[in-house]
Amino acid sequence: MQDLNVAGTDSIPSIQANWASGRLEMKGDSYPENAFELYQPVIDWIEVFLKTENRPLLMQLQLLYLNTSSIRAMMDMLDLLEDAHKQGKPVGVTWLYERDNERVAELAEEFREDYTLRFDIVPQE
Amino acid sequence: MVKVQELLENRIVSLLENPDYAGHPLSEGLAELFERYCEQTRQIERIAHISDRYQEAERDRHIDTTTRYQRQLRQIAKVMRISDRYQHMLRDMNERLYWISSHDELTGLPNRRQMQAHLKRELQQLAERGGQFCVALADLDHFKAINDTYGHDIGDKALAAIANCLSEHIRGYDLCGRWGGEEFLLIFPHSDTRAAEAILARLHEVVGALVSHQLPEQIVLSVSFGLSACHKGDEALDQILKRVDGALYQAKREGRKRTVVV
Repeated sequence: MQDLNVAGTDSIPSIQANWASGRLEMKGDSYPENAFELYQPVIDWIEVFLKTENRPLLMQLQLLYLNTSSIRAMMDMLDLLEDAHKQGKPVGVTWLYERDNERVAELAEEFREDYTLRFDIVPQE
Repeated sequence: MVKVQELLENRIVSLLENPDYAGHPLSEGLAELFERYCEQTRQIERIAHISDRYQEAERDRHIDTTTRYQRQLRQIAKVMRISDRYQHMLRDMNERLYWISSHDELTGLPNRRQMQAHLKRELQQLAERGGQFCVALADLDHFKAINDTYGHDIGDKALAAIANCLSEHIRGYDLCGRWGGEEFLLIFPHSDTRAAEAILARLHEVVGALVSHQLPEQIVLSVSFGLSACHKGDEALDQILKRVDGALYQAKREGRKRTVVV
């Protein structure tokens, strides 16, 4: 499977999926015109990784604003990781936020609710 | 039922196996009939088995659909909840941006843009309903000297102290904003120059008596005012501002700490 590399803009986050290191990083705002088009390759990438590899997969997020369809896509990705976690696979999520923007942390906590996988919300200076 | 069936079958088998009945025409007929019976029983059992499998699959599918439906329902509820929070965040950010664009960060007073909007509104009201309102331009006396002597930090504190003092001692419906630098603009709706002058006289007093623990004791603050009344709703904003600016300049020239009315 190829790595994914999407350059971020004002309306979409930068997306880097690295197969070798088992890391998926997304950073920025997300209000794309077509969230399905943007995130389906990422969802596919996660699915293939989880199906073919037993190595750890870490998703690192540093997201600010998400529109409704991006929230939905994000939850689809988190659901995939949660299912993998329930099957005993080593997966985890880290959500980074700037310390002075507590509201982002609160939103990350909303996302974390209901999941049992490792989901860290980490402040940055 | 199964037991009855088994007993009957055993009975038929033993009858057919009994050598005493061998070759009897009824025995041959019974053998044929029994064979067809066994075949049909097998068929019925097969059909029942397949039908059971279908029912089982259908039940599993129903359970699966219900689980998926409930999961999606939970997901939708969560998406809505998170989306609502993002909208709240945006609304708050919007309010904050609006405040920043309409207020002065240092003093917390409405900024020049906001005061211009207030002035336009007052003029519009004047055009519609008549009456009058007053505009005053205030300038902190000797501000340059304060800055030069004590530094910009103290200068900023002096501006914040004056802003606080002016806005606290005007009437509830009067307006006070930072016009720029050490200048403040005041609007007195529905007031003639006599009423406005009385307020400005009070402001001279409170500014003179201002004690701030954030400022060096030796600093005694004072302000100069240029005041003018507006009677015509179609008067150009620039013209009014030019008039109060001229009055303020005159107050400065005449020795500061005073009000000049034009």
